[in-house]
Amino acid sequence: MPTDNRRIQGPEISTPYCVFGSSTENEDEDGCFKSTDPLSSTRKDGRALLEHRKIYMKTGVVSQAKGSAYIELNNTKVICSVFDPREIPNRVEYSQHGELFCVLKFAPFSCTTRRSHQQDAEEKELSLNLKRALEPAVCRHEFPNFQVDIYVLILESDGGSLAASITCAGLALADAHVPMYDLVTAASLGVAGDVLMKDPSEEEEKLCSQHFERSNLNHGLITVSLMGAHTQITQVWQTGSMTTTCVSESLTHLIQSCEETYPIAQRCLVKSVVDTISKKKVPEQS
Amino acid sequence: MAAQYKTIHPVKYYRDFLAHDLRPDGRSPDKTRNVTVNVNSISTADGSSTVRIGNTTVICGIKAELGKPKPDEPECGFMVPNVELPPLCSPLFRPGPPSEEAQAMTCFVSQATSDMVDLKELCVSTDNLAWVLHIDMICLDYDGCVQDACLIALSAALRTVKLPKVEYDAETKLPSVSLDERADLHVKSSPVSTSFAVFDDEIILSDPTGEEENLSSAKLSVVTDGEVILSVHKPGGSALSETQLQDCISVAKDRANLVNELINVALSSVDR
Amino acid sequence: MDQETLVCVPGQRLSIADKNHLSGRGTYERLGYIYATLAGVVKIEKQDKASLIEVRSSNEQSIVPAPGDIVTAKVTIVKQRFCKCIIKCIGDTVLSRPYRGILRKEDVRATEKDKVEMIKCFRPGDIILARVLPMTEVHSYQLSTAEDELGVVIADSETGTSMVPISWTEMQCPKTHIKELRKVAKVIPERLGSHIVI
Repeated sequence: MPTDNRRIQGPEISTPYCVFGSSTENEDEDGCFKSTDPLSSTRKDGRALLEHRKIYMKTGVVSQAKGSAYIELNNTKVICSVFDPREIPNRVEYSQHGELFCVLKFAPFSCTTRRSHQQDAEEKELSLNLKRALEPAVCRHEFPNFQVDIYVLILESDGGSLAASITCAGLALADAHVPMYDLVTAASLGVAGDVLMKDPSEEEEKLCSQHFERSNLNHGLITVSLMGAHTQITQVWQTGSMTTTCVSESLTHLIQSCEETYPIAQRCLVKSVVDTISKKKVPEQS
Repeated sequence: MAAQYKTIHPVKYYRDFLAHDLRPDGRSPDKTRNVTVNVNSISTADGSSTVRIGNTTVICGIKAELGKPKPDEPECGFMVPNVELPPLCSPLFRPGPPSEEAQAMTCFVSQATSDMVDLKELCVSTDNLAWVLHIDMICLDYDGCVQDACLIALSAALRTVKLPKVEYDAETKLPSVSLDERADLHVKSSPVSTSFAVFDDEIILSDPTGEEENLSSAKLSVVTDGEVILSVHKPGGSALSETQLQDCISVAKDRANLVNELINVALSSVDR
Repeated sequence: MDQETLVCVPGQRLSIADKNHLSGRGTYERLGYIYATLAGVVKIEKQDKASLIEVRSSNEQSIVPAPGDIVTAKVTIVKQRFCKCIIKCIGDTVLSRPYRGILRKEDVRATEKDKVEMIKCFRPGDIILARVLPMTEVHSYQLSTAEDELGVVIADSETGTSMVPISWTEMQCPKTHIKELRKVAKVIPERLGSHIVI
């Protein structure tokens, strides 16, 4: 462990207390779903398998940023801010296209186990995926030689962090008035055996990424981001192993989820535009 | 036109306002901004709070872990407060290790809160096991008086912490935690910090915004619990008269009482 | 506003793209339709027979200086051959992130270029109006003040009071009456800092 003398440090080794925990409550060890018939079963949080969590979105949450957005999927909470284009540091040659600079970070208290302050490998991977998902949607030729900074902070993670981050960042970009071809919305889906679960929670995600030793069952997670107006997929991220038929079936479900989220994002943005217009009108009249 | 004038000549822009005893956001010089406190919004943390002072937003989350006490203080647990100023909260910050400002703020907060919790109460077994409270304060919107917001957030979050009962088995050297039996943390004091900015060497602005902090010639922070003054911090800058300092202290005292009341309301409104 | 306010968001289809419907600022054309790239208000401007469809953003758009723009900048460093400045506004738009600009000795004025002395034209802290030249270097914008309307618009004397222009090369402090040399811009006071129409 490298020492970090810029922060206050605790003891070198500390363990989360849950490791030693014992509870009298009967925890249901094996299951997010109990019934054998996948279509009729309900999940721990009471949702049907193909039911998305309710989404809350808001733009303009960070006053210092050019554009910002906050998104909440039950317990998954993500905030994102976007800043004005700035010169790309340490760049000698002229670049035709502007660049997106994405940094995704989990808050130290956002997960069941404490996260470090430094960006770890998972966060770097997610940052890259976020950048890939947004790039096709931004008119990058309009700001050559510049980069737009996009910072995402996951305040609480309960599954679907990447999907929430993409939708949030897409909304923040539009709120920052960065020219875009379309809004981007994303959704995630978990596969465990022959069960498909839309928008899995943290616990369900763990179940889906487990390896089933007994058989070669389908398992894994897929996150898809979509430009709704043209129904173009900007990025697909799949882990685990599944058959091609399973993937294509999942994609249909995912596209449907993205399309369901799209009007919510649109409405949220329209509301913010209307609000700024009416705010501007008031001082003009007085 | 006003926006252009402001970017070109921010000092004059402010002087024009202050000549009428007003600030650009409509406050009088001694008025503080509205404070909102929200607790237990993060379920993955053992204690959490969100505090807004005007636009300034700070979220504080506490994660409790178990560790071995330091050999020189075998009876004490740990409080590890850290202030984070991520690039998300303002264009002034870049990604990377904490800036000097963040470090200074961490220092300020850890000093002001050092006597809030008796560290000996955090000890489970002398020399063997103690609680480690990782307290992370993350600024989400940087618009002045972030250190004040951090302190309020920490104070509110500490009061939401419920630690499970732990027993240490000296033979197996393993703790056993009963997750159902939880007890509140005993919080002894409730410090509240109020900051001031000195503009043009004479006008004192209470609870300045980010812009006002930038233009000020001196800054002052008063930490009090409403009765006793716990710390007065004035890092250099232009001189202050004694009466001005007294005025600041009385504003700080009033606000401390108000904020502590707010924290209590927020705590009682949540299902505990 | 004479027409009803039409609010749109990126990716929203606005109209058919043909001879009578042209895609303007804040829009793009794809497969025969015009779509919006910004969240804001739709403006339809009549041009002869055709109408130009534009989207104006409700707030300041994220823009970067382009060659030909008139910018308001603050002088930071004055050297013998050039001075450095920070660009604060483009036209009427206030930038939330300032950009660096450089004004070379040759671009200060249109005539007697070789007689220019930088220190007799600008001082650090002056606010100038300048035009952006085509980009040659990657990292800073080249500016020019070689027009009558361009140059110093606001300058403080050594005592800190704003000076009054008295000729196109001199400004005077109203308190001490000391004259200082500047490359003064010819501005009509009401239009101070506003976009100059060419």
